[in-house]
Amino acid sequence: MGRTVRNVFVAGCVVLWLIPLYLLVVNALTPAAEYVGKPEWTVQGLGLWENVKTAWDVAGIGDSFQASLLYAVVCGLVAVLVAAMAAFAVVVLPIPRPAFWFWLIYSGTLFPLQMFLAPLFGLYADAGLYDTRIGLMLVYAAWAVPFAFFLVRNQMTTMSPELTEAALIDGASFGRIFWRIHVPLMRAGLGAAFIFQFTAVWNDLLLGITLSRSPDVQPVMAALTTLNNAYASTGPPVILAGALIVSVPTLLLFLVFRGLFLRGITASAR
Amino acid sequence: MTGTATPAHGATKPVRVRRRVPTRTPHQAAKAGGGRLGGPLAALPWALPAFALVGVLLVYPFFRSVYGSLFEDNGFTSSYTGLDNYARLADDPVFGRSVLNTLMWVAGTLLLPVLAGLLIAVATHRMRFGGIAQLIIVLPFAISGAATAVLWNFMLTSDGAVNQVLRGVGLDSWAQTWLLEWPQNTLAMIVASTWQATGLNVVLFAIGLRAIPRETVEAAELDGASGWRMFRHITLPQLRAVTVVVVGMAIVNSLKAFDMIWILTKGGPSRSSETLALSMYRETFRLFHVGYGSAIALVLSAIVVASSWMYLRHQMPDTGTAKS
Repeated sequence: MGRTVRNVFVAGCVVLWLIPLYLLVVNALTPAAEYVGKPEWTVQGLGLWENVKTAWDVAGIGDSFQASLLYAVVCGLVAVLVAAMAAFAVVVLPIPRPAFWFWLIYSGTLFPLQMFLAPLFGLYADAGLYDTRIGLMLVYAAWAVPFAFFLVRNQMTTMSPELTEAALIDGASFGRIFWRIHVPLMRAGLGAAFIFQFTAVWNDLLLGITLSRSPDVQPVMAALTTLNNAYASTGPPVILAGALIVSVPTLLLFLVFRGLFLRGITASAR
Repeated sequence: MTGTATPAHGATKPVRVRRRVPTRTPHQAAKAGGGRLGGPLAALPWALPAFALVGVLLVYPFFRSVYGSLFEDNGFTSSYTGLDNYARLADDPVFGRSVLNTLMWVAGTLLLPVLAGLLIAVATHRMRFGGIAQLIIVLPFAISGAATAVLWNFMLTSDGAVNQVLRGVGLDSWAQTWLLEWPQNTLAMIVASTWQATGLNVVLFAIGLRAIPRETVEAAELDGASGWRMFRHITLPQLRAVTVVVVGMAIVNSLKAFDMIWILTKGGPSRSSETLALSMYRETFRLFHVGYGSAIALVLSAIVVASSWMYLRHQMPDTGTAKS
């Protein structure tokens, strides 16, 4: 590849990728009242704060934002803990048929979400869990476990079993071995798994629109979709401001923990 | 690459000697240690929370869904109809279109983001400001699918930014009602999802490129390889491990694509841009054809599992089966 060709190609790609982001920012900045029905290409004033406020209060993104933060943090933590315990059982402890347990838990990631939806809906309607925060948290935790388990297990198999042996000889209990040896040594791996599952839960739309309805229960992506459907009444600047708001947590997480995140993905490579 | 779970105990399995010293692998260590780790039930409490969550909320609904696909079920009454739902699928014109769209998504999201990702990664590799270019291209990946969809909705509507640009540069005839006609609505959405998904591939390929030993490249250079030959015979084979992951993820994700389509077109107009993932949702939760929806979901699951299994088995003969 010639040097010039390469530079032009990369520059072209960067521009292509930047234009939508630029439009997102510029139009989210435009005061909603001054929007003329066509995308703006230059900054038309500073209405961002107003737009964010409208999206946050009127469209109910604020309530959903808090709900989603709760889901993502709690379910991410629970999923990673539960997955780490299961990985501990499958890798370190003498569980019969480890392969069976592995596939049983891992099978959760293989099937598309659609496969679980209808029965889950029925289950939730019967159990009174439909449209409750606890109901969504349960299903998010369950949904996040398999892949977290996959990541954690893969890393746990690389730890030397001598560590466990030595601790056992010293008379440590399983609980002690888990908390004092495996959890501290796996801190990076557990962190990557948490970031993964936080992002997955935060970005979920399908479970959210299926299992909840009221604004203070609905996850944030569902709220954004509702806002988008009410296009006419609010106008694009407010919707794009909403898109900006919902992107902040994952964007921050990604920018801060990029290395950890990518190592997490590559760890799932084999 | 942190090459982790290589099938360690698969490789060291034929250890026949019973030893009291710890062996290399955990399971064998446990067996050889003869009960020092407690009975086989001691591990169960540790696996139980995961089993309970996954079993009750994922595995049970899965089998319930398989069973439910044999019923004509409108949410209130249900009657056993055997394989009728599947027979109906074969006759349903929407299902045919839906399969076609799903295939387009798979082809599109395999070709575009993977090729673009590879090209951009190779081009930015060891380039000045290459890291910055990579970061810019990966930014959309950190934005959620729903936010991306909202943004592209804004760009693709009839008086949106894309048409504005086309008219601005004098290509009026290229301006389209992007989301209102098939097939360009599906194609436009594939482009939008390419915009979002390419970045991750770029970064993964970049990691793979950095892992290529310098000596390999230098040796090839000494042998007179450069440009295309270098890429074809040195770079590409060395990127194999990454490519397996990238393509594997692309297959699964494209089959499940939902957010983008649901927000941009809701599968419309008149269900022309529906994929299997959308069809299932509409049949079950909009039209209350629960059994029929389950049948679609099962077809989709079968395709996802079969394609990823075939792909992985083909690409990773050494690790594909040894994941125990």
